[in-house]
Amino acid sequence: MEEQVDISVDFAGLKLVNPVFTASGTCGYADELADFMDINQLGGFITKSITLKPRKGNPTPRIVETDSGMLNAIGWANVGLDKFIEEKLPVIEKLTVPVFVNVAGETIEEYVAVVERLATEKAIAGFELNISCPNVEKGGISFGTEPELVKEVTSAVKKACGEKALIVKLAPAVTNISEIAGAAIDAGADALSLINTFTAMVIDIETRRPVLANKTGGLSGPAIKPIAVYLVNKVYNEVTRQRGIPILGMGGIRNASDAVEFIVAGASAAAVGTANFIEPGCAVKIVEGIKKYCAGHNITNMKELIGSLEAK
Amino acid sequence: MVLRFSKVCFRHAESLSVKVMSEKKSSPVKGPFCAAVRSNKRIGERFYRLGLEFTGAGATAFGRFRPGQFAEFDLSAVALPPREKIPEDLADVCQRNILLRRPFAFVDVSAEKNKTFAELLYSVVGPASLRMTTLAAGDSVNVMGPLGNGFWVPDGKKRAFLICGGMGAPPLQILAKVLTKDFPDIEVIAFAGAKTAKDLPFEGRLDEISQQLGFSLPEFAKYGVNSQLATDDGSAGFKGMVTDCFKQWFDKANPARERSVIYACGPEQMLAKVAEIAKEKNIDCQISMERRMACGIGICQSCAILCRANGSNETVYKLCCEDGPVFDSKEVVFN
Repeated sequence: MEEQVDISVDFAGLKLVNPVFTASGTCGYADELADFMDINQLGGFITKSITLKPRKGNPTPRIVETDSGMLNAIGWANVGLDKFIEEKLPVIEKLTVPVFVNVAGETIEEYVAVVERLATEKAIAGFELNISCPNVEKGGISFGTEPELVKEVTSAVKKACGEKALIVKLAPAVTNISEIAGAAIDAGADALSLINTFTAMVIDIETRRPVLANKTGGLSGPAIKPIAVYLVNKVYNEVTRQRGIPILGMGGIRNASDAVEFIVAGASAAAVGTANFIEPGCAVKIVEGIKKYCAGHNITNMKELIGSLEAK
Repeated sequence: MVLRFSKVCFRHAESLSVKVMSEKKSSPVKGPFCAAVRSNKRIGERFYRLGLEFTGAGATAFGRFRPGQFAEFDLSAVALPPREKIPEDLADVCQRNILLRRPFAFVDVSAEKNKTFAELLYSVVGPASLRMTTLAAGDSVNVMGPLGNGFWVPDGKKRAFLICGGMGAPPLQILAKVLTKDFPDIEVIAFAGAKTAKDLPFEGRLDEISQQLGFSLPEFAKYGVNSQLATDDGSAGFKGMVTDCFKQWFDKANPARERSVIYACGPEQMLAKVAEIAKEKNIDCQISMERRMACGIGICQSCAILCRANGSNETVYKLCCEDGPVFDSKEVVFN
């Protein structure tokens, strides 16, 4: 019965079979999670952040668990553009799920260089612009807190995108997220993804030092879900609904009920991140769960559900 | 079903989390699986031994277990002990909800017909391990694995030295079992150390036994493996670090270096010393490293180990969960 439920969504010019993505940094570059689930059953896949040059990442400890969450300060450890093309792209080519490459950099030129090189690759559906990572000294969130800078980097990257879809990933801890959202769309974003992690800290009271070598890290996991749902709804109401731009919502999703919350709040699609570490096959379970929800609530088109929050 | 241990010296891919390009089916070779709890026995002040039983796909997966591998346990749904049973030093920290899985090595794994039995030792140090103390026979635990590379046996070895510190003992105990079973030509000797007798994860009255000559830990003796005991404070066995105990023994016995291999597991400072000794004496040496892990399956990039890049002065990060946890001691760069 559930297989007949149509939960396809329109997203940035693409038709996705369902609204479930895996989030950048939690699912590798291509098929690393294939031991645990069929990745091609997802609506979308977002790669680990790719930078122009390979990056080793931060010293350890890079992670620490918190109450219903975790901090990470990986520091964009990645194989770099050349190795990505050489080793990961051939695997991506064999996948049928739409793959978006998360692009990171310390300068606008670096962001553009990565996008330019990959914009002609058939295997790639689009890009997710990472201007919200809090764990690197240069780049990342330093581009994502000022509307003018957001416009600058987004339009430069958009120019290099060609036909590919451009998602801009937003940071949560900004003065006015709607202003940032608007700036990204003005500059050509085809979709927005929110939220990235919150800068946070854990202290070891025996050593009286931060647990992370980087001192701070990005907080993710169930603890941030209510804030993420609120921000998705805020951006939907204040910006994207009028402008017809889809939101990829994320922040602590671990089951179908969580995903539905984001969709009701205004997201066209939902991404699973931290939960992949605990239940690597959960994204596919979430697809089934959303089908069950729709069947049980007589929803025959996802448009009925997206942004259907009744807040009178 | 028979537990097999590869006799071939093997290596994992050198580069960072590369997977072979081929059609992959979504069959759960690593789970997660539900394991049934068979026993949960306290063997020391903070040490427990947990016995599990896998059936079905889990039995098949863990039937392939190699010493040195580990598994990731989801303990988020396991109950805390009653308030009055919680040690004071853990009272605050145990209020925290558990999110991430916890990695554990196994002290014994044996396969029989359609079941695989696995045992692990754990020390109660935090909110997750505290919860484990309430597991009882009949409960079930969600386990992902086997994970990691495991120990390997280089060709031409006649002697294997197992050096363990504190809770580093379990992987070497199962290694002792498999070595003595599958490599009867290799003489295995164990060196176990800890800060004090209380910190050794073994059963029995160690402070008494230590005074005897020819002492052998039952945990190793049951495989026919002789062992030496060392404690920093001399409360059992040799007084001093286990690495000094090993060095002293090795210099006296003077076995052929190229026929020897060292396997070590324990605190990183101990592993650094073992690596130093192995380098100085030019002995093959494998060390089981440890890092905080979020996923344990090569995705999150949290468990980075600084390593020497092949034949150069440069360093690279490898992943403890995927490229390890066992590394050639020459590779690892210690602080």
